[in-house]
Amino acid sequence: MPASDDAPAPAVRPTLLSVALVFAAISSTSFGGGQKASIRQQVVKQGWMDKDAFLEGLELAQVLPGPNILNLAIFCGQRARGVPGAIAAFLGASIPPLLIVLIAGALYFKYSENPFVRGGLRGCAVGALGLTVANALELSWDERNDWIKLVLLALTAVVVSLFKMPLLLVLVVFGGIGIMHEYLRARREAASP
Amino acid sequence: MHTALHLLWTFGQLSVLGFGGGKGIIPQMHRDAVENYRWVTSAQFTQFYTIGKLVPGPTTIFAALIGYAAMPKTPLIGATVATVGMFVPSSAIMMAADVAWDRFANSPWRPILARGLAPAIVGLVWSSVLTIARGTPAGILPYAVTAVVALLTLRTKLSAPVLIVASGVVGIIALR
Repeated sequence: MPASDDAPAPAVRPTLLSVALVFAAISSTSFGGGQKASIRQQVVKQGWMDKDAFLEGLELAQVLPGPNILNLAIFCGQRARGVPGAIAAFLGASIPPLLIVLIAGALYFKYSENPFVRGGLRGCAVGALGLTVANALELSWDERNDWIKLVLLALTAVVVSLFKMPLLLVLVVFGGIGIMHEYLRARREAASP
Repeated sequence: MHTALHLLWTFGQLSVLGFGGGKGIIPQMHRDAVENYRWVTSAQFTQFYTIGKLVPGPTTIFAALIGYAAMPKTPLIGATVATVGMFVPSSAIMMAADVAWDRFANSPWRPILARGLAPAIVGLVWSSVLTIARGTPAGILPYAVTAVVALLTLRTKLSAPVLIVASGVVGIIALR
């Protein structure tokens, strides 16, 4: 069943099983940025959709809440096979990581008292902290040309860390100010070409 | 049963608020899972987050481990409920949005929304750094490893799992 009757039929109509398997393979073997390229290769090369549709989906996946890869998988599944395709993509993209993390969890609860495992986990945690620091630095660098955004960013970090401001309120207040700031800037730019 | 509903409600809210790929939800998740419900300790929270970064798939899959720990008698149910809470609401929004997308695609609001939310998300990521740090060992060596990993991430193409495993080896030797 297509997503809607007026949508152009995709050139290739994959089976629901193959939709699930494609995303199962990608989600259980690759990490981070590499996944977007893998998905693009699969869906565009196999003719489920064209490049423009894929890029549109990628943008939507990044704007909306939720993991980008999971959102992108759902988009591709839905464009290829409608709602059942989206569900197949969701299951394919989420079940293998869940099984892998459950195996890791079972091992964790069995062996985390062992001093070597404990030392290893502490070391890994320190490494994961380093990755998060790098991510924060990189994302902050992207905002460097706008001092208002840097102030907003710093204020958010302070009120969340020190005053435990709830996430919803953070998004409404600081997200709201950020969106207003962007809106006013877009309007200024439109007024002075 | 009670715990299952709490898991579903807690992660369901985080799912809907998970803008920026879910990068900003860590501080709130810590507040819910560690401080309010006491499902896990701060050290466990950080280690589960680490496992989430180490395995393929979205980092926030580590919600499953919090669910696992929250329901010790039926850990698989806890893990499944937490995962459903974490992933189903945002996925449902994605599915619904694709239907409405045609109107949103050319809307001038789309880049305004994405760019406008960014500072708050980045601030939340800095707060996540402090949240995760609460569960890591203190000392000159751990701080040095954190700094080196951050530097290598920014300056080289080394992948996240490689850097985490290398840090783990340092930990086996020096952080027992």
